[in-house]
Amino acid sequence: MKRWIEAIVFWGAFALLWEYGVAALGVRRYLLPPLSAVVLAGWDAREMVVSDTWVTLVEVMVGFIAAVCGGVVLGVLIHFSDFTRRTLYPFITALQSMPKIALAPLMIVWFGYGFASKIAATFLFAFFPVVIATLGGLSGIAANLDEHFRALGASRWDTFWRLHVPAALPSFIDGIKISMPLAVIGAIVGEFIGSEEGLGHLITLATANAKTDLMFAAILVITVLATFLYWIVEMMSRLVWWRGKAV
Amino acid sequence: MGQTMMFRNLKAVTEATPAPVNEAGAICVRNVLKRYPGKHAVNALEDVSLTIREREFVSILGPSGCGKSTLLRIVAGLVPHNDGEVLVNNKPVKGPSPEIGVVFQTSNMLPWLTVEKNMMLGAQLRKLPAEQTAAKVGELIKMLGLSGFEQNHPHQLSGGMRQRASIGQILALDPGILLMDEPFGALDALTRDLLNVELLRIWQERMQTVMLITHSIQEAVFLSDRVLVMSARPGHIIHDIKIDLPRPRLPENIKGNPRYGQYIAEISKIMGVY
Repeated sequence: MKRWIEAIVFWGAFALLWEYGVAALGVRRYLLPPLSAVVLAGWDAREMVVSDTWVTLVEVMVGFIAAVCGGVVLGVLIHFSDFTRRTLYPFITALQSMPKIALAPLMIVWFGYGFASKIAATFLFAFFPVVIATLGGLSGIAANLDEHFRALGASRWDTFWRLHVPAALPSFIDGIKISMPLAVIGAIVGEFIGSEEGLGHLITLATANAKTDLMFAAILVITVLATFLYWIVEMMSRLVWWRGKAV
Repeated sequence: MGQTMMFRNLKAVTEATPAPVNEAGAICVRNVLKRYPGKHAVNALEDVSLTIREREFVSILGPSGCGKSTLLRIVAGLVPHNDGEVLVNNKPVKGPSPEIGVVFQTSNMLPWLTVEKNMMLGAQLRKLPAEQTAAKVGELIKMLGLSGFEQNHPHQLSGGMRQRASIGQILALDPGILLMDEPFGALDALTRDLLNVELLRIWQERMQTVMLITHSIQEAVFLSDRVLVMSARPGHIIHDIKIDLPRPRLPENIKGNPRYGQYIAEISKIMGVY
């Protein structure tokens, strides 16, 4: 109960400071409009905001899920095959060091202005943390447990599903937590570079028309969306309660 | 005077004798060599021979780093050896065998499974019939004093209870041969003594063949039919001591027995630890 009050007081203070602070300090409206103007601008353009949010959400989800699936598969491949460890792993490490944002225009060139290039950009941003976290989880399994399973004559299948997967889950979830906000960034960056819809497009549109209040409305929506998605991942991560409970 | 006589008698049986080649045993190790290759190649074990008869309780003592754990892993089929022969129930060891159960120093409980599920896991991995396993685990939970903790997770248990559950997991396999690598090494002395008594009780009930690696002389003497002493690296068995104490052994009638003290003194002397 007390925590709720704390949160309400904190966010209320933030909203009030924004609303009246800008006027008190004489900040010009095109630089930072008051909160009420932002909300109003968002409300006036609500049809566009809703449809753009939906577009971005779909891009983020599809790209993110693809990144998680691809990342897990690659992580498992690299971990269990010496060949991929020798060949693909250094390649992936090099790719990871590349600034993903520099590749976003390429995605437009390759996949066009539509949906596909946004998925590709989202994938690119979200993919690497999943690979690294999966690998970290798998290689962090205590050697004594592996030996124990061997002594029990466990099949490779059983060892994978009953030992490797649950043991790697905490690290994997940590990777997902990093990857989720990056997926949102990927989608927005993709939309910035070339698109006809989505919240990133809404921001560029608002900028072009000098509608700072609408731009802030779009930023607010993105922030809420990203926070909500992160919260879902956070809730999922609580299912993996055995983190740090090694015995 | 009597004391000296006793020691002399003990010495007579402590001279290491190579195991006769034809003697059938649950575990037969003959002239085993284990080399760790590399730039600084070392022999971990050299010409190790021993026989453990069926239903015999044998402890292996040795200074740390002498290769006693390696020897256990070779018998368990977890580590290959470079030369010599290892037979379990007269068959050469080629890998982990369903006839063997191994208890390690670490508890090896999976943190995401309950105590009960952990105890059933071994039997499930070995594809033993589920119903029998459930019945056996139920029995073992009672026997090992884990009643009421079945649905707890390992991190909620004390170290001693976790190790009891680990032993239960292996006993649920009903292995003919039990290999134990310092199973109580990570526990405090009091818990260790208690678990030793429990282990003896279980063994006296089930009469499995036991090979126990330990660095506690007291533990080895209290539990074993025979104690084998290994030299420092490269490991080699230098003494084979028959422990002639009456069974069933209980702390109250063994720890006061003068022969118990003499065995401990004798082995301490052999190992140069007193």
